[in-house]
Amino acid sequence: MVGAFEQALLALMIFVIMLGMGASLTPRDFYLALRRPYGLAIGVISQYGFMPFIGFLLITLLPLAEAIAIGVLIMACMPGGTTSNIFTYFSKGNLALSVLMTVTSTVFGVLLIPIILVFYSAALDLEIPRENIIATLVLLLVPVAIGMVMRRLNANVGAVTEFFGSLLALFFIVFLMVSWVPRNWQFLMTTTSATYIAAIGLGLVGITIGYLFARGLRLHPRNARTVALETGIQNGPLAVAIIAFTFSGTEAQSYMAVPVLYSLFIVIVSTLVTLVFRRANTAAEQAMPDGLL
Amino acid sequence: MDRTDKPWTALYDTDVRAEIDGPQFRTIGDFISATADTYGDLPAFTTCLPNGMNGTLTFAQADEMSDALAVYLREVAGLSTGDRVAIQVPNCLAYPVMAMAIFKAGCVLVNVNPLYTAEEMAKQFADAEPSAILIVDMFADKLVEAMHGHPIPNVIVTRVAEFMPALPKWIVGLVQKYWDKSVKPITLPHIRLPDAIVAGRTKHAELHNAVDGYRRDVSPDDVACLQYTGGTTGVSKGAMLTHSNLLMNMEQTMELIKSLERGKEVALTALPLYHVFAFTVNFLGFYSIGARNILIPNPRPLTSMKRAFENYKITWLSGVNTLFNGLCNEVWFLDTPPKHLKFASAGGMALQGAVAARWEEVTGKPVVEGYGLTESSPVLTFNPLGKSRANSIGVPVPSTDVRCVDEDGADVPVGEVGELIAKGPQIMKGYWKKPEETEKTIQNGWLLTGDIAVMEPDGYFRIVDRKKDMILVSGFNVYPNEIEDMLAAHPGVNEVAVIGVPDGASGEAVKAFIVKQDDTLTVDAVRSYCKEHLTAYKVPKQVEFRDELPKSNVGKILRKDLRAEEDAKTKVKEQA
Repeated sequence: MVGAFEQALLALMIFVIMLGMGASLTPRDFYLALRRPYGLAIGVISQYGFMPFIGFLLITLLPLAEAIAIGVLIMACMPGGTTSNIFTYFSKGNLALSVLMTVTSTVFGVLLIPIILVFYSAALDLEIPRENIIATLVLLLVPVAIGMVMRRLNANVGAVTEFFGSLLALFFIVFLMVSWVPRNWQFLMTTTSATYIAAIGLGLVGITIGYLFARGLRLHPRNARTVALETGIQNGPLAVAIIAFTFSGTEAQSYMAVPVLYSLFIVIVSTLVTLVFRRANTAAEQAMPDGLL
Repeated sequence: MDRTDKPWTALYDTDVRAEIDGPQFRTIGDFISATADTYGDLPAFTTCLPNGMNGTLTFAQADEMSDALAVYLREVAGLSTGDRVAIQVPNCLAYPVMAMAIFKAGCVLVNVNPLYTAEEMAKQFADAEPSAILIVDMFADKLVEAMHGHPIPNVIVTRVAEFMPALPKWIVGLVQKYWDKSVKPITLPHIRLPDAIVAGRTKHAELHNAVDGYRRDVSPDDVACLQYTGGTTGVSKGAMLTHSNLLMNMEQTMELIKSLERGKEVALTALPLYHVFAFTVNFLGFYSIGARNILIPNPRPLTSMKRAFENYKITWLSGVNTLFNGLCNEVWFLDTPPKHLKFASAGGMALQGAVAARWEEVTGKPVVEGYGLTESSPVLTFNPLGKSRANSIGVPVPSTDVRCVDEDGADVPVGEVGELIAKGPQIMKGYWKKPEETEKTIQNGWLLTGDIAVMEPDGYFRIVDRKKDMILVSGFNVYPNEIEDMLAAHPGVNEVAVIGVPDGASGEAVKAFIVKQDDTLTVDAVRSYCKEHLTAYKVPKQVEFRDELPKSNVGKILRKDLRAEEDAKTKVKEQA
């Protein structure tokens, strides 16, 4: 379902995209997010509090086969994915907060994911491959740091990298959609509607709950939009990798159905959400008179 | 006289000259060349786009390019001393290069607002009769219509990303062409700015010291700029600012901000350079001390300036009330106010006390208010650094005398209101081709500002009110006559009166009161009609339909009654 070449290509793309993201950041952005850890804490709560619970509710309410249910639960317990950074960037959210939330939830994940998985499914005996989690961290932080240094050395190099990074990010999203659908057509046709609902619902409900929670706690709308995307967008590739490393054969293939479907639909859902958020952002701009400023 | 002569000089710092004998340079061209020699390889101008893409010219580069361009204007375009050359570009690197070239060529600079409609451009061209124009590609499509009255033989086209490194320039070009589609094809014969410079450079190599010769015939009292303004009477006219006027005003202003360090300051120029305040203070003044000018092509939305604040150590910022107020409402600005800022200066419109206080609270640095008119190049008064007074326009700059007088021209007692009049080396030569207007405005060497002011005993001045009907939208003069004339031509309009109403964002906003001719006329229809014929800032923000308008017994529409009604409404709102 996900080949080695495809994974390597994805990794390279994410590297370049994160380089561009880094070029849009300054150390001050991280300093500000750390100085107000409120947003971060909210992110961790919605990531590991709400998402697994939403997954649990979906499993309880929908008629799902056991293998699918396990897939939903694993997906729901994943940390934030790097795609959330891309969508936060395009929705003009707080990118530094998004990157920090991804990192924090990944770090906390080492501890929290097993606990939550055990909590929600005492029967589920899973081994969390730490090396994958570390790989995710490196993949995320190294290019971000390089991008930040590039911008500091030369603002033009930074701006150009950011520009191409964001173009590649758009391409990446389109690539995900057009490459996965045809090759998994047969799989898509045979999947039950309950599985679809679970795979789509997880992201959509997560984004909604994340947003309402953050707004309820009076976070700035820009930060609330960031928390929403961060909550709803899970690390799909990590789920795929974890399942691939932990299980084998047809068992692995059936557990993977939800993460793959989720990854496909979250791109569509997030694109629509991003369009809405962008509009909200533009509407909130101060109206400045046309003449002299 | 009811006061000791120039009591405010006691407020100057000890190292400030109360009188400046004369400008250090004969002409602006001499000033530019000499300053470039001093600061050579330091960065002089940087364009910073909203995404952080940028381009920089050093003092030496801008000097060399403007030499070549001056040669182009004289030798290739065939201009001679005193010919007018228009510049119609937003803030970008092309502006300083072209402006310098015009002065070096001994020509006269005519600043044109890039947002003008073709109709407004046509009026200005017909009056100034420029022989050449530098225009930005985004607005060049308006030229065809604008040149119907006065065709301009030499059209030079530039772009916002001019002189930026190749890759960012290419990207900006693609984005403008295919994404915002802000650049339209240009049908007129024209030359691109870089090509004009290359042509000038080739010619320059053949001639020896040609550039210095161009301004040999130019005297300090010759006109350097035709700066268009509605003045106090509302008819658009060109204030003739001489080399001496501008150089003196630059020195007078910089004299009061002496604490700035030569070769080390970074000024953020978000005000358009075609506005006289940015022209004299940011362009000439900061250039004179070897500062780096960060040029912002379009500060809207305000987030467009975020990268400039992040990437450069801004030490000085000049703006209008609207800008300071807006920045203090931006989350990113509140989170990371500029650390290296020394001061900010405000002009163009009254700086509201609340805004000044908030600015100082956010940045920890004061915003000092100055005052002036296009006719005075423009600075007449400025708050002395460290002794800034809220709601005050400060004290007159060196070599400047300011008085408050009654209707007969006699001084009013200190502390009482009178029309502010001013005398000094920065007062314009007069209005271009309008001697009667000049006579009305300059009497016995005194410039009548039309502003009502009070002098306090220690020499600080305070503006009480603007004379009569002029509306000030974000620092731009809007003349009700012009809008009324235009609206009156609409078939659906019977009668119209236009006044200024207080507006949080722009200080004042234009409000039109209309008696309908055609019952189906809507507010949207009125506004879109105005948008077709007027620059955006002149378009009425509010439109109110009435059954009749207040009139005097001879039938003159009484704007003052409408204003009184609006004032009463505001007061009721405030009380509620």
